[in-house]
Amino acid sequence: MSATSEFHYERETSWCPGCGDFQILKSVEQALVALGKKPGEVLVVSGIGQAAKLPHYLNANGFNGLHGRALPPAFGAKCANHELTVLVTTGDGDCYGEGGNHFIHAIRRNIDITVIVHNNQIYGLTKGQASPTSDIGFVTKTQPGGVVLTPFNPLAVAISLEAAFVARAFSKDTDHVASLIVEGVKTPGFALIDVLQPCVSFNKVNTYQWYQQRVYRLDEDGYDPADKLKAFEKALEWGERIPTGVLYKNPRAESYLDHFIKPGEKPLVKRERPRGEIEALVNEFYSEI
Amino acid sequence: MKATDFNIIIAGQAGQGLNTISGLLLKTLTKGGWHVYASQNYMSRVRGGHNFMNIRISQSPVFSTPAGANMLVALDQRSVDEHLRRLEDPAVVVYDMESVKPAQGANGTIWAGAPLLKLAKENGGVIYQNSVALGGIMALLGVGLTDLSGVFSKRFSKNRKVLEDNVRAAKAGFDYMTSINGHFNFMPTLPQREKRLLMNGAEAMGLGMIAGGLRFVAAYPMSPSTGVFTYIAEKAARVGIIAEQAEDEIAAINMAIGASAAGARSATMTSGGGLALMVEGVSLAGIMETPLVIADLQRPGPATGLPTRTGQEDLDFVLSLGHGEFPRFIFAPGTVEETFYTSAAAMNLADKYQVPVFILGDQLLVDSYSTLDKLDIPKIRNENYLISNEHLGKEPYLRYRFTETGVSPRAYFGQAGTHFISDCHVHEEDGHISEDAEISSKMAEKRFRKLIGMKNEPYGPKYYGPEKAQVALVCWGSTYGAVKETVDNFGQEGGGLGMVHFNRIWPFPGEDTLEILRGCKKIFVVENNIQGQFNRLLRRETGIRTEEPILRYDGRPFSVQFITQEILTRLA
Ligand SMILES: Cc1ncc(C[n+]2csc(CCOP(=O)(O)OP(=O)(O)O)c2C)c(N)n1
Ligand code: SF4
Repeated sequence: MSATSEFHYERETSWCPGCGDFQILKSVEQALVALGKKPGEVLVVSGIGQAAKLPHYLNANGFNGLHGRALPPAFGAKCANHELTVLVTTGDGDCYGEGGNHFIHAIRRNIDITVIVHNNQIYGLTKGQASPTSDIGFVTKTQPGGVVLTPFNPLAVAISLEAAFVARAFSKDTDHVASLIVEGVKTPGFALIDVLQPCVSFNKVNTYQWYQQRVYRLDEDGYDPADKLKAFEKALEWGERIPTGVLYKNPRAESYLDHFIKPGEKPLVKRERPRGEIEALVNEFYSEI
Repeated sequence: MKATDFNIIIAGQAGQGLNTISGLLLKTLTKGGWHVYASQNYMSRVRGGHNFMNIRISQSPVFSTPAGANMLVALDQRSVDEHLRRLEDPAVVVYDMESVKPAQGANGTIWAGAPLLKLAKENGGVIYQNSVALGGIMALLGVGLTDLSGVFSKRFSKNRKVLEDNVRAAKAGFDYMTSINGHFNFMPTLPQREKRLLMNGAEAMGLGMIAGGLRFVAAYPMSPSTGVFTYIAEKAARVGIIAEQAEDEIAAINMAIGASAAGARSATMTSGGGLALMVEGVSLAGIMETPLVIADLQRPGPATGLPTRTGQEDLDFVLSLGHGEFPRFIFAPGTVEETFYTSAAAMNLADKYQVPVFILGDQLLVDSYSTLDKLDIPKIRNENYLISNEHLGKEPYLRYRFTETGVSPRAYFGQAGTHFISDCHVHEEDGHISEDAEISSKMAEKRFRKLIGMKNEPYGPKYYGPEKAQVALVCWGSTYGAVKETVDNFGQEGGGLGMVHFNRIWPFPGEDTLEILRGCKKIFVVENNIQGQFNRLLRRETGIRTEEPILRYDGRPFSVQFITQEILTRLA
């Protein structure tokens, strides 16, 4: 179906054949169609990396910014025009490494955006260095003796910061990824979807097969994503078994803009500022005599 | 010093209420019809230390702080020790008799001590000590209590008891000083009462940005830029602005760029250290052609430098910051009033040319208060530079279309149902990544064609002084006031002295500069840095031969005395 969707953009990509990025692109298209969106209603923001090229391969609004800096402009754009559905497509290096500080604070802000992290546990574009999610012992050219740093756990961090929506999926399950994107978009506030995405060129450990053998679906055994402690437990599960699905859903409804824009109010970009307002500000500086 | 001028120093420790007392005094004097100019001098600490405010009151507009003073309000002993030597002869010192002791000063120094603390305790409590002092100051200035009471009423309108206590405390101070001030007879004559505005540079900048259509601001606190952010944040809800404190300056500038790409006029403000973190973002705005206003409120560096002092050390940095090549505007307004208009213009020019616009200010500019006769709001024209919905529908929309002016039609994401991509790579006209050699050079040329229009925008160099002056002082930004007054007071030495002030620094107004400086025998650049950065720029851009520049780089602003001394030495 995606080949004919409005969001489909026929263009040569710079992704390697077989890369999980193609699957995520397909899921994004599928989700936007399922949501009934038009290309003009959607903005996809990214940073730099292989994952971050996605906006160039999609028929929608795109903002392809700097490495590590996908979340701040996504926040700014959503503030300027809250009618846009804002998605972020980013890599594990982009989002958790170079952009780690923004990741923490974007969750705290709880801006209503959906963040899709192509987590391949490696830096793809720069040809195979360790990323924040690389497992201990993972050997690369820059870590010839193997990674010694504790892997970053994005899901546990997001849950600890009470993110509105925290999910994980495996890129190969395109329907599952698409359904999570749909749910993420529908959830007011910050939605994180960490997608395990095999990098066929540089990650020879975490392969399709490696993930396939480990992933299982949480929604298949009556899991309740409102239970924060349980969610933590699941977020810490990694190794022989890797849970996928919605790990945590915070019932707290208020997203950032709910504090600043009333229901039905026009987006900032469509507002006129009456002259009288400026004059009123100027008058505050006058001395009365 | 002019006979119509009167200068007050209020000094004490951080946390003693210096800002409250100065603020109330400034408002009272403005109400009374005085022109005032006040500069602040404070340390990077929250309690203790030594801070002071210089308040100059005059019957005509004033823009700088003189070295001397006619009144010292000393909130502690150190204030007496630090400032006694600055007092004119005669002058008066106001202080609390119990905590501060008179010292050996000039013969004409009047020690107007009062039991400030005791009077405060008798009239409502210790916290009213500043109001007692203010009452005493009013008595010494001979201006009565009416205006001060009026200022109190406005300030404490919500709490009757507090208002009454303040008025009573001020009266106690007033009565006490009236009883002892028999021989204090050099007060300035009272001015005509005139309705004026009182604001500092930070407020003028924030207000200017808002008047220029600001919709989104993100910043990270850093002295001396915080005041601008605070002003906007306080008004944000009223005027439909989102003001966000970002997690760092990198986030701040990238948030602003995102909001701008989505169509909201955006700005950020910081000081040199924060700007260093923003550099990559400026470059992004450059290639994305996203309008953005960036205020750099300078303080001396390198690194953390002197956090609360003033300097003009970032000019070279701002001229070249950002990797790669892209056009930019740089403005450096000279007064509070000019800061307002320049900030509003910056918002418009950013949109008109889709370039980053820098406003270079400094601690002196943003922290100094000035009275203004009026602000002309209708003078600010906020044009809509976005493509119209009607045009959008007509042909395939190309965000980076090659045009003669270099400015491509700009839409915002989702405008009238359209969609496009804004990109940080070299891109094609439609915004998609390209590595094509021809596209690369054509895009660079397109961006730089904007300079043709940008060069013709206003805010070029302004000359002030006698016709055919043989000597010129060249300055930029906040040094305006001290240099102007130097020119006002200068005699005929060297064949007359004039000044040229630069607000627009980039694109450099070379031809106008040559025209203005033609026939000048000696040119001295005056600036707050050690390398003479503007001096070098002026030489590079015009080939003009200048004298050794007049420099100050101790974190303190220039005074008229400092500049005059330097010129006289050099002309001798
Ligand atoms: C400031 C900066 N530093 C470094 C780079 C180089 N760089 C580009 S992408 C990247 C890492 C990409 O890894 P990831 O985000 O995991 O994305 P992937 O390519 O694996 O999809 C790096 C280090 C850059 N573009 N900018
Ligand atoms: S380098 Fe890896 S992540 Fe990038 S496109 Fe190739 S396979 Fe995919």
